Amino acid sequence: MTSTTSATPAALPAELRTNLDRAVAQVNSVVLGKAAQVNLAFVSLLAAGHLLIEDLPGVGKTTLAHALAATLDLSFQRVQFTSDLLPSDIIGVSIFERDQNRFEFHPGPLFAQLVLADEINRATPKTQSALLEAMAEQQVTVDGRSHALPAPFFVVATQNPLDLAGTYPLPDSQLDRFLLRISLDYPSREAERELLTSANRQQIIAKLVPCMNAADIQLLREQAAAVVASAALIDYVQGLIALTRAHAEIRIGLSPRAGLALLMAARSHALIAGRNYCLPEDVQAVFVPVAAHRLTLSGAGTRDRVLLAKALLNEVAVR
Amino acid sequence: MRLNLHQFNLLNLAVLLVLTTHFGHLPLWMDAAGLAIVGARWLQRRYRPQWGATPVWIRLPLTLGLPVAVIAQYGTLLGLEPGSVLAIGMLILKLSESEKVRDARAALTFAGFVLMAALLFERNLINAAHVALAVVPLFVCMRALEPRPTDAVGGGPDLWHSTRSTVLGLTAAIPLTLVVFVFMPRLAQPLWGAPSNEEARTGVSDTMAPGQFAELMVDDSPAFRVQFASGQPPLPAQRYWRGLVLNRFDGLTWTRTESASARLEDGDLKLLSAPIEYELTLEPTQQRWLFPLDVPTRAPERFARNADLTLVGFRPLSAVQRFSLSSVLEYRLEGLTPMRRQAALNMPYGFNPRLQELGAQWRQQYGGDAQRIVQAALKLYHDEFSYTLTPPVLGRDGMDDFLFETRAGYCEHFSSSFANLMRAAGVPARVVVGYQGGYWNADGSYLLIRQSDAHAWNEVWLDGRWQRIDPTAAVRPERVALGSRAANSGETRWYRAQWLLDLRNRWDLANQMWNEVIVQFDTLRQQGLLRNFGVERANWNQLALAFGIASSILMLLGLYWALRRERQQSDTLDQAYHHLCRRLAAAGVARAAQEGPISYLRRVCQHLPQAAAELEGLFADYVRLRYALPEPDAAGSREFSRAVRRFKPAGNHS
Repeated sequence: MTSTTSATPAALPAELRTNLDRAVAQVNSVVLGKAAQVNLAFVSLLAAGHLLIEDLPGVGKTTLAHALAATLDLSFQRVQFTSDLLPSDIIGVSIFERDQNRFEFHPGPLFAQLVLADEINRATPKTQSALLEAMAEQQVTVDGRSHALPAPFFVVATQNPLDLAGTYPLPDSQLDRFLLRISLDYPSREAERELLTSANRQQIIAKLVPCMNAADIQLLREQAAAVVASAALIDYVQGLIALTRAHAEIRIGLSPRAGLALLMAARSHALIAGRNYCLPEDVQAVFVPVAAHRLTLSGAGTRDRVLLAKALLNEVAVR
Repeated sequence: MRLNLHQFNLLNLAVLLVLTTHFGHLPLWMDAAGLAIVGARWLQRRYRPQWGATPVWIRLPLTLGLPVAVIAQYGTLLGLEPGSVLAIGMLILKLSESEKVRDARAALTFAGFVLMAALLFERNLINAAHVALAVVPLFVCMRALEPRPTDAVGGGPDLWHSTRSTVLGLTAAIPLTLVVFVFMPRLAQPLWGAPSNEEARTGVSDTMAPGQFAELMVDDSPAFRVQFASGQPPLPAQRYWRGLVLNRFDGLTWTRTESASARLEDGDLKLLSAPIEYELTLEPTQQRWLFPLDVPTRAPERFARNADLTLVGFRPLSAVQRFSLSSVLEYRLEGLTPMRRQAALNMPYGFNPRLQELGAQWRQQYGGDAQRIVQAALKLYHDEFSYTLTPPVLGRDGMDDFLFETRAGYCEHFSSSFANLMRAAGVPARVVVGYQGGYWNADGSYLLIRQSDAHAWNEVWLDGRWQRIDPTAAVRPERVALGSRAANSGETRWYRAQWLLDLRNRWDLANQMWNEVIVQFDTLRQQGLLRNFGVERANWNQLALAFGIASSILMLLGLYWALRRERQQSDTLDQAYHHLCRRLAAAGVARAAQEGPISYLRRVCQHLPQAAAELEGLFADYVRLRYALPEPDAAGSREFSRAVRRFKPAGNHS
């Protein structure tokens, strides 16, 4: 793909480019055979969004998150969500310090640059809301005082499929806080074989060397926002959005915020692919993870949201 | 893809509606078996869908049994009726095994064929409307088989959507239909010149037997059409189209005699008026003679003019044929040899004694004055006889019964009895059969003579020459003055109520207009219509050209309309890119509408590796212009356009 785009070299500094490519390659070496999902995780990172990984237990959700954490030179916290987890357990509490005679805020695990929120749908809605609010506002408010979260602030949440016992499904309005929702699915036969024969993932992760720091990420985010989206591409994005709003099987189509998210994700995807302009292929690559969890179905069809979102891609022409 | 229940029901309904157009002329066993099979299949699909398609051990015997049953019924598989029964049977069998969308498509296409076959039987207004109505569910069902654009994978297409798009489509097809109707070059014979009962329509034959004309007189099909060189037809009372002269009567039937085929002697015929030139287009009769206006001045090629001034050809007329003829209305025909005189006086021995008696009495009374005898006979007819198409049955001495008892009949009775009466009175007389009258079609400037215009009259040897006497005119003058329709209209006795009569007249008018405008829109009418636009004698090539041009214009307009939105949005770059995509599609790799440039390039390069380098350059240019810039720059677009035109997909990639 890159060979055909030599006419317009990416304006990325060479070092940054190398770091990014190395980071992607490194995560791929841990999470086998999931190049697309790994790519999307980086899309989420560069688009300044949060990532939701939804899949069955044991397919590598946490491994992906850990690999990301080990590759990025960021402060990392992991929160295992359980049904008795309280909001204060994640955002922190104010405790009265007798010697200073005042309340002192003790930050919770949310105060990290990369937060892995494991199995968020096992927590009660109250705790879920606390997390999602923090994600949206980039700050938490305790006892009337706001505390800014660190930058970059990147949440990777995992959740089990909604039909498993003991889950509290996230409401649609809160799913919207996640830029992308991806699923990992079972590995391919070759990937699984390599998984079974090679070393323990934990050990591999422990040996990883971070290759991107916060400053790199900040620069990449700025570059991603500057990726060219031409008039033709905007036409295409608008065509997709319009279709979700007119489709018989969809009750509520994509919001303007979803449209912005789609374009931003596409830009990040282009940047990772080494371009400083967006192609319809970028939009197609991120459309399902961006759009599927934001669609509200009308019940007229039998397809689930992912299948429907895939079908929508076949109905909008690229000119 | 398997049919869902909605589609299955629609399919059955559509095909059943098609079958209703044929129910009237199918054998009863076919109606019953068809309904039974369709019904059984419907019940099975409705309540036992898990049984799937009809198994082969049911289908095979039915499939094999069908032609056997048709042969048992008709003795053949060929011909209109056996053929359509076979087709309908096949349609029902196809319907019964339809399980998938593909089956349904085949069944519907075939149903369209069967539907059109209904027009081979009847082309009247009701049947045409029936067929037109049955077309709609057929297309609705076809539409319902296709997925709607907005649900590519599944979901039931609803009836309303299918109906709406079908009606829109059919409406959009109307202009093209009209163009085809007007400009499509007409074949002299209908395209579906199926060997039907039409072939048995011999029109006026070379005999005149009781009841023969009554059959013809209710037959509205055209016998022939005439165009006059002067553009104007003769007066209605002068429109006698002479077919054959019948000389011999055996008590029941009039036939020709050998002497009638003798050639005309020089000097026997004197023409007293200017000849009328005309073109006569004769429907196939399977007979050998023509129906010229009164006395033809010459015989066309491959025809001979006989002594009785009839035109008889060498072989039967089995196709529509056009003849250039010329006739005179004023003439003097002489040449009554003793042998011919004898033939014109012969009567069957031992028949009709009372008629013989009356003839002998007149002979004595008027002393052999032929003129007065004729007048006496015509007066008798005028005073005592009535015209009816449903005369009472006559006995052995038919002419006696008619003349003295029933006194009601039509041209056949009048001309037969008149000739007999003249012969009994010693006046040479003969019967002429042919047509009288005709409907002047002002639009097409031609005279249409129908089978119902069939007529029989007499020629009597008066004052040393043959003269035409029409006894029917003495009884019912409007038969000659206004035509057979006027003469026969009094026959509708069972429609006494005035409102019913009005209604019937209106209906008849509607049917008449349907016939005139649609069914009988043939070559002549087509030319008549085109003449209004300054096209004289349009030939096949010109018509094809006009048809092609008109339909092309319409199609281009439709195309423009359909593409208008896209065209408005596209620019030079788009056009060039689409051009490139079309050429690559021609080389074997078509771009899907939703396919982006890089994905497409990858696919194309796999198929056309030899052009890969060039293609990568082209696509890189396109991608840069289209996506790397907020708006493509004009110079680059033109350059890309030129590059696309230079590009050769290097032909084959095999």
